[in-house]
Amino acid sequence: MLQIARGMDAAAEPVELIAAAAGGDLVAFEHLYRQFAPRVYGLCLRLTGQREAAEDCTQESFVAAWRALRDFEQRSRFTTWLHRIAVHTVLARRRGLRVQYEVAEPASGLPDVADPGGEAPPLDLERAIARLPEGARHVLVLVGIYGFSHAEAARTLGVAEGTCKAQLHRARGLLAAALGLETSS
Amino acid sequence: MNDPLQKSLDEHLADLALDVPPPRNLWPVIARRLERRPRRARPLVFAAAAGVVGACMASALTWAVLHGRPGSPAAPLVARAPTAARAPTAAPAPSFDEPRNANYVAARDSLEVSFRERLALLDPATRAQIEASLAVIRQAHEDIRKALANDPACPVLEQLWQSTWHDELDLYERVVRGTQPTMTRT
Repeated sequence: MLQIARGMDAAAEPVELIAAAAGGDLVAFEHLYRQFAPRVYGLCLRLTGQREAAEDCTQESFVAAWRALRDFEQRSRFTTWLHRIAVHTVLARRRGLRVQYEVAEPASGLPDVADPGGEAPPLDLERAIARLPEGARHVLVLVGIYGFSHAEAARTLGVAEGTCKAQLHRARGLLAAALGLETSS
Repeated sequence: MNDPLQKSLDEHLADLALDVPPPRNLWPVIARRLERRPRRARPLVFAAAAGVVGACMASALTWAVLHGRPGSPAAPLVARAPTAARAPTAAPAPSFDEPRNANYVAARDSLEVSFRERLALLDPATRAQIEASLAVIRQAHEDIRKALANDPACPVLEQLWQSTWHDELDLYERVVRGTQPTMTRT
């Protein structure tokens, strides 16, 4: 079971940048953006399955982070805090509170190369993830890829923890079938 | 999950990069929005916060009404702090998305049914006071909902949103608890 906390890197927190940005230093906040935008964009892209929506959610997330940074008490890691804002942004967009959410088109807007610095996984995996039913996709992205615990994912998504586990199981089954892995067992 | 199929799938997932660089530079748009942030968003936040203050006062007033009337059937023998432990159905670690959770909504609806039943047992003046408190809380909730429509990712608004859900449940629970039959008290 993939339960390693991939989203929670062991790298040290940029505490000085965080403190400076919290104090209103835009340059420091831009540094934070440069450092964390790829992670936030990747999360948004996989949650929405659409490039334009992911760009918009990434922008919204950093604007929201700037507004809330003064109240960030560092009781959690900055990355974790930023991830939560990004997920809330995606979900808020989905709820149609801000703009009409477009139905994801799985074949468009996905990264052509998932890992530019390493051995790229099959493109079909990204597309298969984007084709998952929304609930299953959200849980798979948060738990299976970005290392959220089931409890954290359930709380963030507003579902019961049991539902979260069931959705992950469903997502894995659908993915395995979509990738043709079911015949190998 | 040690079967070969799942392991293979996990390996595929583990190969995915967490970081995906945005296809274009998003910073200029973000930076422009940061510059005009205070004037645009804060009044909404403060308005919503004012609503929450009203909701909290309404909730506290309800507590005082239920606990301060000697002749009221709701008066308990031992006063509790306003933040006394909640019933299990009333404290499911809420979040901004909670009202969308079917289990949560069912629990809240169940508590509201009990609240309505117990409310009917109170004298008209007390009942009116509690109904007024509930109206204040719901108005605050509506104000925050409108503010969230303009700024859906604002964590401050999210906290305020949670507060009003807490307040409504708290009011329900106080009425339900405060009207428990006398024999159940210690």
